[in-house]
Order: sequence, then structure tokens, then C-alpha cells
Amino acid sequence: MEKDKIVRDISKLIGKDKVSGDEALLSIYSKDPLGNVGKALAVVFPEESKDVSRVVSYAYKNDIKIYAQGSSTSLAGSSLPKEPGIVISFERMKKVLEVSLVNSYVLVEPGIRIDDLNLELGSKGYMFPVDPASSSVATVGGAINSGAGGMRGAKYGTMRDWVLGLEIVLPDENGTIAFAGCKTLKCRQGYDLVRLIVGSEGTLALVTKAYLKITPLPETVIVALAFFPRLENLMEAVVDIKSQRVQPYILEFLEKRTAEVAAKSIGRSINIDGHMLLAGIDVNREAVDRYVEWIEKLLKEHGGKGIQTARSWQEAEERGLFDIRRSLFVAQSKMAREIYKNVNNAKIMLLIEDIAVPPSRLIEAVKGLKELEKKHGFVTMLGGHVGDGNLHPSIGFNMLDPEETKRAERWFEDLVDLAISLDGTVSSEHGIGITKKEALRRELEARGSLKLLEIMKDIKKVFDPKNILNPGKVV
Amino acid sequence: MLEDLREWIKEEASKCMFCGFCETVCPTIKFGPHRGYGPRGRVNIALYISEGGKYTEEALSSLYSCLLCAACTLKCPANIDIPEIVRASRVLYSEDSLKEAIVVEKKVS
Repeated sequence: MEKDKIVRDISKLIGKDKVSGDEALLSIYSKDPLGNVGKALAVVFPEESKDVSRVVSYAYKNDIKIYAQGSSTSLAGSSLPKEPGIVISFERMKKVLEVSLVNSYVLVEPGIRIDDLNLELGSKGYMFPVDPASSSVATVGGAINSGAGGMRGAKYGTMRDWVLGLEIVLPDENGTIAFAGCKTLKCRQGYDLVRLIVGSEGTLALVTKAYLKITPLPETVIVALAFFPRLENLMEAVVDIKSQRVQPYILEFLEKRTAEVAAKSIGRSINIDGHMLLAGIDVNREAVDRYVEWIEKLLKEHGGKGIQTARSWQEAEERGLFDIRRSLFVAQSKMAREIYKNVNNAKIMLLIEDIAVPPSRLIEAVKGLKELEKKHGFVTMLGGHVGDGNLHPSIGFNMLDPEETKRAERWFEDLVDLAISLDGTVSSEHGIGITKKEALRRELEARGSLKLLEIMKDIKKVFDPKNILNPGKVV
Repeated sequence: MLEDLREWIKEEASKCMFCGFCETVCPTIKFGPHRGYGPRGRVNIALYISEGGKYTEEALSSLYSCLLCAACTLKCPANIDIPEIVRASRVLYSEDSLKEAIVVEKKVS
């Protein structure tokens, strides 16, 4: 259908200030961080669930594709309008509607950014613990749809573990508004549709409200930073920590060279004596001394160098103990730019992957990644959440160079094989989107479970018979 | 000269990785109707124009609502000079509009 007509029709349905067909504006809503460019015909800014319902009903009747967007920071191409269609941007639906400490939930609209939600909850001594690295930008709706995780994943899990109930709009003639799940912590409502929608990347239904579980902020968190010349020693320290009835709040890893680039990128002149381990343990205030002594001793015993400890999260912030780990993305992008600084007309693309392996196989994974670096000739930056075995290897390449693009594809294929061979998975928190569809197929094939892919495709058809919601993604 | 400016905008704006970290500190995005009122929007609208796109109503609102405070530059992992892109795009707009006005005047006369 003609673009101007779509804009006119939607204006009549929900108001002209809630839709735009401005070409310059559409150019923003047609992109993603992977450098992909799609085609938004109109962008809609709903302010309530009914707006979404009306637009979905209109799109259904007119066979127009719909793409939900939170803040468009997906690293898997999940929110890209791959085929021409309407982008529904939830940025105006960002209210915290209810905080109930007694019921352990918060009711939010999908467009609220995760850090903004935590500002609100923090004032009451609570938090929403899922913390993707992009939490300052990422919206709750985007995190639900991508099944996001984060640094606290080893202790608190991912979005799948924190969504109680969802108000959704279904892609049917009426744009039916339904509520899946419960407000209660326990819920046995037939098949678990909530956890099916979490991580479905906007392909099954549009989320318009979410009941999320909340949890008290820890009384305090002690933090330790150390460097290990040998990866084996770092992993032994991790195993030792986990074997002593301690479940760390965070347990982060940065490979030595990546830590060096990260430190340099933020102007820190710290001696990087090896691979970096950053551990945080939530404890009662009375136990701080005991735990600080314990972790210092443990890290030393395993050969840790340059050990620094902080007695609280605040102290760790003030002393910059998180700075290097938080600079992983900056380091990844700087390293890529550095490599191509003398290449004219380079369009750098950064592939940031999110494989996971059982933590006991992390050493093999890191060694395998080093071999891939040699084989394909890409400098690989590497960090991750060592507590849950989730690694973020990344490479940069020039999209305008066909040979290099092919080589990057082969690197990715080998990475997928590596994860599968180590009993891992190809995506632990970014999602499948466009980029990992083949990887998903190979993972299921390797497990002798291709039949499940067919079931997934059938599920998509049941929810979305006309294939209007985010087509071409996930399955 | 103008073409150099256009090329510079294109080159500088192309560095955007679309991470959106700049939006977390931008004082205008909260008050605008959409992402066009934030740095990521402005950089990508400037890119769109430098590649031959039109100065649409939203493009101008985006570029002229920037306070040039440069808070975004502290958050940008690609070190993009965002305020300079906005300034340069405004210059480009003035010059392009002037050229257009001269063409119209010649046609009229």
C-alpha cells in the first residue's frame, strides 16, 4: 500500500501526532546497530494499548508488516524493518504504573528504559535485576522480546525468570488485547505463554504492559578485581569461589589484551598483569570484613595479581573497579577503528556475539577462540560473564570489502560450531533475529532436534497466520 | 568548500554504531516527540541529508532543537563530534537554502 495512505489512515485511527511518514525520520527507524538498513513506511508512537490494537487491526486487514521497536539496540537485527512496513516505536509508553512491594511486582509500560525503572525501584530499596550492558538505553519491552540477560545473570538469570504476566496485542482482525500469565509469583495457567513470548523478538505478539518480579537491593556488595597470567588459574579461582557455597552477584572476565585496550581507552594507567576477573559478592554488612579477607586470600592463592578490593559497591564505583569491564564495548569499537584507521572508505561493522558454554568448558572456549583468530586473521576482543559461561567474542570488519565480509561469515560459522561442540548455545542473551537463524538451525540439528524448528514455525503460524509481525526473524 | 563540508559530515556521521548511549545524557530527547530529538537521531538525520536526503520538517526540527551542549560526546564510543555535525548541517542547510532561493529568484525574474 502507498505510504502516504498508510499515514493518513493511521492518523484517522489514533491521531496525527502519533504517526509520521517523514522520510528523514523514517531513516532513523529503518536502521540497527549491525549496519542493516530496512524500510519503514511509517513510524507510529502509541500512547496506550488501544492505539497499538487499532494499528495492529488495521495492518492485519491490509496485510501490512509490523515491527516493534524499543530503543533499537538489538545486536541480532531483531527490530529491523527488513521488509517494508510500519514501525511501532514504544518510546512514549514508558510509565511505571504500579509498584507493589507486598506483591513483589512492578507494572510497567514497555518503553521504559531499564535504568530508569531501577531509579524508581531503588528509591524503595528494590531492583529489577536483569542488567544488559545497554541497560541505560535498552527498554523493558526490548529486553522482554530479546530475552535479555546481563552481568547479574549467574545469580538472577535472564528476562525469562522475571516476567510474571504480559498484556499483549495479538495480530488478528480486532487487534485483540489479551493478558498472559499472572500477577502472582506462582502461576500455572495451562501452557506457559509468557515464557514463550519472552524472547520471541516481536514475532508472536506485541507487549503493551508487563508485570515484572522485583527483588530487594542487596544490603551491600563487596567487590574484588584481580589479574591472572594464566587463564587456568583464573578459572580455578572461579571454581573455588563457586565451590564454597557462594553465589556471586557478578563474576566478570576480560581477556588480557581486551583489558589492556579497555583500560587504555578510558585513560587508566593500570598494570594489566593478565586476564581480568571482577567479582562481586552480596553480603550482610556484618560479614563484610570476613568476605573481603576470604576473597583476597582466595585470589592470591590462585596466583591473582594486582588485587584490589572494595567493601561496598559505592566504594568500588568511586575507585573505578568497574571501569575496565564497563569499557568493553568502547574497547571493541576502538580496536576495530584502530585497525582500519589507514583504510580509505571503510565501513566498519562490529560483530558482538553471545555464545554460552557450561562454565566448566570456558578454558576450551577461550582457547578455541584464539585458534579462530589465527585461522581467520581477525583480532578478537573477548569478555564475558564467567559465572554463567556467557562469552562476548567480537571482531570488526570492513563491510565494503567482499572478501573480508566472507571471511567474517566463516569466522561466525566456526564460532557457532565451537559453541555447539562444547555443549553450549549460539545465543544466550542477544536473540536470534536475522543473524543467527542458520546458527539456530545448526544447533538444533547437532542435537538431533530439527523437528523442534518445525514446531517453532507452527507456533509462529498459530499466533500470526498472516505473517505480519516482524517477518523473517527467529524461525 | 560546501562539498567538503558535506563529505566531512558523511564521514563523521558514518561512524555512528547506533548504540544509543548518547541518548541517556541528552537534555532534549525527553522533551521531544521521538528519537529525532536525541543525538543518535541527529547524527543519522545529518547522514541522511549528506547523502542527498531532503531537509524535511522533522529533519530541521531535529537539527535545530539541539542545544549543542556536547553531553553526548562524553558517552559516544566512536568519539563522534556530534555538536560539530549539527553545526555543520545547519551551515549546509543555510547554504543550500540560499542556493535554492537564488534559483527561484532567477526563475521568477
